[in-house]
Amino acid sequence: MIVVTGASRGLGRAICDRLIQKNIDVFGLARNVDGVPFPAVSCDVSSYESVKAVAQQLKKDGVKVTGLINAAGIASMNLAVITPQSVSQKIINTNLLGTIYCCQLIAPLIIRNKHGVIINFSTIAVALGLKGESIYAASKAGVEGFTRSFAREMADFNVRVNCIAPGPIDTSLLKGITAEQIHKIVSQQIIPKQFAPDSVADLVELLIDSRSDSLSGQVLHVGGV
Amino acid sequence: MSSTKETKLAIFTVISELLEDKSLEVTDEMPLIGSKSVLDSMRLVELCLALEDKASEMGFEFDWTSDAAMSRSRSMFRTAGSLADEFISQMEAQQ
Repeated sequence: MIVVTGASRGLGRAICDRLIQKNIDVFGLARNVDGVPFPAVSCDVSSYESVKAVAQQLKKDGVKVTGLINAAGIASMNLAVITPQSVSQKIINTNLLGTIYCCQLIAPLIIRNKHGVIINFSTIAVALGLKGESIYAASKAGVEGFTRSFAREMADFNVRVNCIAPGPIDTSLLKGITAEQIHKIVSQQIIPKQFAPDSVADLVELLIDSRSDSLSGQVLHVGGV
Repeated sequence: MSSTKETKLAIFTVISELLEDKSLEVTDEMPLIGSKSVLDSMRLVELCLALEDKASEMGFEFDWTSDAAMSRSRSMFRTAGSLADEFISQMEAQQ
């Protein structure tokens, strides 16, 4: 079973749908799982205790966890100097600490199988240093750094850890960003087009496949930078 | 629940099984982290998982990441003895 965070909507939901379509069992985590049509539980990834409770329950239920996909994330586009402290904290807590907590607490379940995959999520904003996304980019740069180091720690247990860094994918995370802004970002990609959630799901499929057994500690940019 | 002495022996046995050099005797002072550690990072994680299983068998939950555990002894993994002490302390707290 693969645990997917942010499973109720956006990229997380698209990934869950794809995995289910490929007959892979998923277990979704999201703050609100009302109406989610696959096994899922309410969990706030920014709360260590909340994630810990999920990990304990999975262990208690004897669930064989083979993977973790950390798709939960929030964004707030604003200049750093006018971003309220509470917003900065929320972004770091969810994007960076949420990813770290899930890795810390779910990885021991994966390690027991001596085989598995962890996929974290970054953003094109890190590589491009996008204006107005400094706090969001900082949280995701942390995820990239964590991924590279954590991949080495997990390599001992045959667990691969990689990071996907999409450009502006058409999800609710882009709410409030104009078409012009999206075009400006997309034009800086090597492949200058806006990709859909399906392209990210393709990459997830590739990374969990045994044909990616040589890949770990990598940051893969959708669209290229 | 086992006695403190039996529990300590069980923990030392788990550590002993993970040692590369089987001739080594597990003592209270045996370092588990740092430059003189007898376990590499991989075996240290395996030790955590083994102790988690041992605690489950004994009817309690062993938490190797709790703040309380770290602040009491700085790190429960300093030595085999400090790890056994923390394991027993958590066992007694949950009895």
